[in-house]
Amino acid sequence: MSNLIFDSVTKIFGEGSSKYVALENINFEAESGQLILVIGPSGSGKTTFLTIAGGLQTPTNGDVKINDSTINSLSKKQQTKLRLEKIGFVLQSYNLVPFLTVEEQFKFVDKLKNQNLTEQKMHELLSDLGLLELLKKYPNQLSGGQKQRVAIARALYTDPDYILADEPTAALDTDRSMKVIELLRDLAHKRNKIIIVVTHDLRLKDMADKVYQIIDGKMTILEK
Amino acid sequence: MFLAIKEMLHEKLRYSLIVALIFLVSYLLIILTGLATGLANLNKAAINEWDASSIVLNSDSEGRLQQSFLSQDEVASLPNNGTRISQYSTLVKSENGLKENAQLVALDSKSFIFKKLKITSGSKNIRNNAGVVSDKFKSDGFKIGDYLLVANSSLRIKITGFTPRATLSALPVVYISPDTIQSLNKGVTNAVVFKNTLNNSKIPKGTNQLSIGSFINKLPGYSAQQLTFNFMIGFLYIIILIVISIFLYILTVQKLPNLGVLKAQGVSTQYLVLSTLFQSFIMSVIGVIIAIILGEITAITLPSEVPIVIDKSNIIVTGIGIIIMSLLGALIPIRQIAKVDPYKIIGG
Ligand SMILES: Nc1ncnc2c1ncn2[C@@H]1O[C@H](COP(=O)(O)OP(=O)(O)OP(=O)(O)O)[C@@H](O)[C@H]1O
Ligand SMILES: [Mg+2]
Repeated sequence: MSNLIFDSVTKIFGEGSSKYVALENINFEAESGQLILVIGPSGSGKTTFLTIAGGLQTPTNGDVKINDSTINSLSKKQQTKLRLEKIGFVLQSYNLVPFLTVEEQFKFVDKLKNQNLTEQKMHELLSDLGLLELLKKYPNQLSGGQKQRVAIARALYTDPDYILADEPTAALDTDRSMKVIELLRDLAHKRNKIIIVVTHDLRLKDMADKVYQIIDGKMTILEK
Repeated sequence: MFLAIKEMLHEKLRYSLIVALIFLVSYLLIILTGLATGLANLNKAAINEWDASSIVLNSDSEGRLQQSFLSQDEVASLPNNGTRISQYSTLVKSENGLKENAQLVALDSKSFIFKKLKITSGSKNIRNNAGVVSDKFKSDGFKIGDYLLVANSSLRIKITGFTPRATLSALPVVYISPDTIQSLNKGVTNAVVFKNTLNNSKIPKGTNQLSIGSFINKLPGYSAQQLTFNFMIGFLYIIILIVISIFLYILTVQKLPNLGVLKAQGVSTQYLVLSTLFQSFIMSVIGVIIAIILGEITAITLPSEVPIVIDKSNIIVTGIGIIIMSLLGALIPIRQIAKVDPYKIIGG
């Protein structure tokens, strides 16, 4: 069982008159096997929340804990390592390296982690996500939905405990958005991952196990 | 360096362009250094063959052999292990009409310089108006046994041998005996050359000891010529540095979003920096190698009048110089890579 906890996290940008409170006293908790949605309007602090969860930014106050150990006091190097090993990021765009084929995206991860398990694992993942026939294609030869599915497969390939996704469906139409979210939910349930999806798309609400709402930097849990 | 290689293979056009630029500048550099060395050799090759360390000239001569005249007393008060040089520049002709401007240099056949002279063909004999001459004469059609007719004089010098690398101030040298030069310049001693450096107390008043290095620098036109070349060469290094910086900078800026995401995905800055350095290194090595090959071919195909000398040390210095410039050129892009904040890319 892994978990991710925000303990009274505040993030303040700037100082003095340009001081801006992006996140205010956030408490948040996620456990393995859950798909969690964080919903909020533009500028509410969603990306700030997600980047703090992934160790890309440090909170001004409060602690972020992964498996009960605080990550915000780690060095940059350690945080990078943590991301490589425990966290998978799926973003709105630029997820894939433009000059690598789908297959090479996975090989690259192998090189980074000094592993070569994994032809079989890659094929398994790709066939689960219906991507097998795309192995030799470059990102610019894929549709938006295909790209996002490859990005999710890539993120899963390192077998992270967490997947943090920032607006993964922003470039997709409703149908495809639903499919991608469904996929993430299945992965959370079947593979026992923590999957946090940040979005402003309220239609995705029903798919999640837990929904948080964030408005002006304040987070509340939405009862279903 | 998986990422670096894949990227270069995928973006062949971009990276070949940079390689082409590196190649062109390296080629120009190799040709220029070759010419600088070649021209320098034309000026000083004979002096290098002497393998001496100092030369004593008249103090008023400003280091110019032709303008230096030593009195008999001055020569006599110098240590007698030096080689007395008497010099005369003139036009010489062969009996069948070949012409050549030459430096006649008279020295004793027992002197250390004469003993050192190498012979490529013929014999080393300067008795009885015989001469050992630069092998430039040979490549211009002169043969052993030919007579050199000295202009405005009745002197005839018989060629007995050819000696390599014997040019002085861009003219081929004719080594003759002091007796032979007597009729041309009254046998005046222009300078005395020593194998070792003399203690200052041994230098008579009115004369001046120069190291062979500074004597070469004072050869007419030599320093100006070398300075010009060095200026152009230095400039080319700066150009290549700027060009590589700009190219890599543009390439890096274009892919910053990708780099930011890679960092978010856990790729270390160090890996990305090494990738860029590696690309820069590979491109410069390829560019330099092509330039060396083409430079060698150029040197071989150019007519022998073009004094171009591409030697190992030139190639090594230029090659390493270009590679260092390429790595330096990667510094600005590397700063970009180090600075890119994945949060900015994602939040943006
Ligand atoms: N580096 C920064 N310096 C100052 N203010 C910042 C900085 N980053 C974010 N902010 C502010 O914090 C607030 C939250 O930004 P954030 O990017 O988290 O919003 P968001 O919910 O992701 O919005 P969107 O849906 O438009 O992506 C915004 O008002 C933004 O202007
Ligand atoms: Mg955002």
